[in-house]
Amino acid sequence: MQIKTTVENLKNYQIYLLVLKAIEEFLDKKGYLKIELPVLSPSLIPESYLEIFETEFKYLDKKEKLYLTPSPELFLKRLLAYGVGDCYYLGKSFRNCEPNSSLHSPEFMMLEFYKTKANYMDVAEEVIEMLSFIAERCYSWLVSGSVVNFRKKFGITKKILKQRKHDFSIIYKGKLISFKNWEKISVSEAFKKYAGISSKELFDHQLFIKKAEKKGYQVKGFSYEDVWSQIYSQEIEPWLGKNGYPTLIYDYPKEFAALAKLNPDKKTSQRFEFYIEGIELGDCYTELTDWKEQENRFGQELAKIKKQKKTIARVDKGFIEALKYGLNPCAGIAIGVDRLAMIFCDASSIDKLKLINIT
Amino acid sequence: MKTNAGNLKKGEFVYHQGEIWQIQKAEFYSPGKGSALMKTRLKNLHSGKNIDYTFKSNEPVELVEVESVEMQFLYKDESNLYFMDEKSYNQYSLPISVVGDTSFYLKEGDKYYVYLQNEKPLNIKPPLSVKLKIIETEEAIKGDTVTGAKKPAKLETGVVVMVPLFVKKGDIISVNPETGEYTGRA
Repeated sequence: MQIKTTVENLKNYQIYLLVLKAIEEFLDKKGYLKIELPVLSPSLIPESYLEIFETEFKYLDKKEKLYLTPSPELFLKRLLAYGVGDCYYLGKSFRNCEPNSSLHSPEFMMLEFYKTKANYMDVAEEVIEMLSFIAERCYSWLVSGSVVNFRKKFGITKKILKQRKHDFSIIYKGKLISFKNWEKISVSEAFKKYAGISSKELFDHQLFIKKAEKKGYQVKGFSYEDVWSQIYSQEIEPWLGKNGYPTLIYDYPKEFAALAKLNPDKKTSQRFEFYIEGIELGDCYTELTDWKEQENRFGQELAKIKKQKKTIARVDKGFIEALKYGLNPCAGIAIGVDRLAMIFCDASSIDKLKLINIT
Repeated sequence: MKTNAGNLKKGEFVYHQGEIWQIQKAEFYSPGKGSALMKTRLKNLHSGKNIDYTFKSNEPVELVEVESVEMQFLYKDESNLYFMDEKSYNQYSLPISVVGDTSFYLKEGDKYYVYLQNEKPLNIKPPLSVKLKIIETEEAIKGDTVTGAKKPAKLETGVVVMVPLFVKKGDIISVNPETGEYTGRA
């Protein structure tokens, strides 16, 4: 890897800062408390689908393992259990074994916010309102008198700005995207519509694998989750967020529940993700509050981590203790802010946002 | 030879669904649910068409073994480019649909590398840059100081690229033949 300085990104960087500011302004206005958090932790929540960064604290002959946090969830949920109320973290998170690409960086800016006495769809309302707020803030900044030179320098004409028609929309890759409302589709509707897979086939592992094999996918030696992810990425994702609105896709099969509460059907979980132009931007759950179920899932995740020979971090027992203490109903979302800002900048890659990148 | 899809790199050739494809783009992708994936753009070396395909990152993929041979670019007609191996005097043709936009930057008589699989040409190996002469471009307009302003320039192969305002007719410039980007004056 090397340090890359790109001063040409100044225009996008300014918009990136504007997006950060707008997020904070919106959440502060809505009564969320901003939480400053450590990025080094002595223990983590076991999550088998990601790899972590491990480091060591040294003092004389004492050594202690520390980990860069892949998400602020373990801290925020503690605070929620102890009654801090609606809150958010806007800062760095770290994921290993994910090489740099147009949408990936091992170190990235994450927004995670939690709303109490709420479920995933309540958070969805908040998110669409936030997106439209950011769009409005970017728009009023770009048309304001104080940035005449900025507009001139980067060739942003009033004509370009007028194409947006409304304050609550943006232009991305030549297409108008409105944040007035969501396009909503359930995972099972999406599999039917875009991949021709019925809900009966979707939830039955054997039928699903059979269908995938018929479609020409390699299935031998692969799990339901492996093949499901491949079809989702190949046949579903490219269609999401393409109709002039961001798409909210909801109710993932229980195999992808992670820390989300299950629906009464016991087949799906209260999880949604949202997309613009096929790019995944956020991941939301109605949070699992049952500590026994959580402990159980931790065990399963840990077994998967061992099987995949990934780094095993000390399991955060305090997290389970906090849940035992009692987590009131709440829902939370994690949003990749670099990707989001990239869309507001009309850029094609997250490395076009920053002045210094490690690539 | 087999490899895991997670190791695939741009430019490599693979067997996929019974045909030979060349990787145009390969991005590792970890969706935060389920397993890691490899998102690729594949070019079909028969039709020249591109498709996007997502592999599981640990899925075995069969690589096509190729050799690259230096050849002289002879000429092109409406649908093909013709090359000659100067050692064996064998001639090979490649469809323009497969070579793609890079074909606009190739100069007759110059040497390029061609990938062969058992004597069958698959594609050319695009050089990092090509040096071409500008045969037509406007004089720079005085007082135009917008940062990064560019103007069109026609090159000796007939293709038009965007160049900085100070570049003149008759200059020889370097161009990236894959993107058509001006990379400097030669």
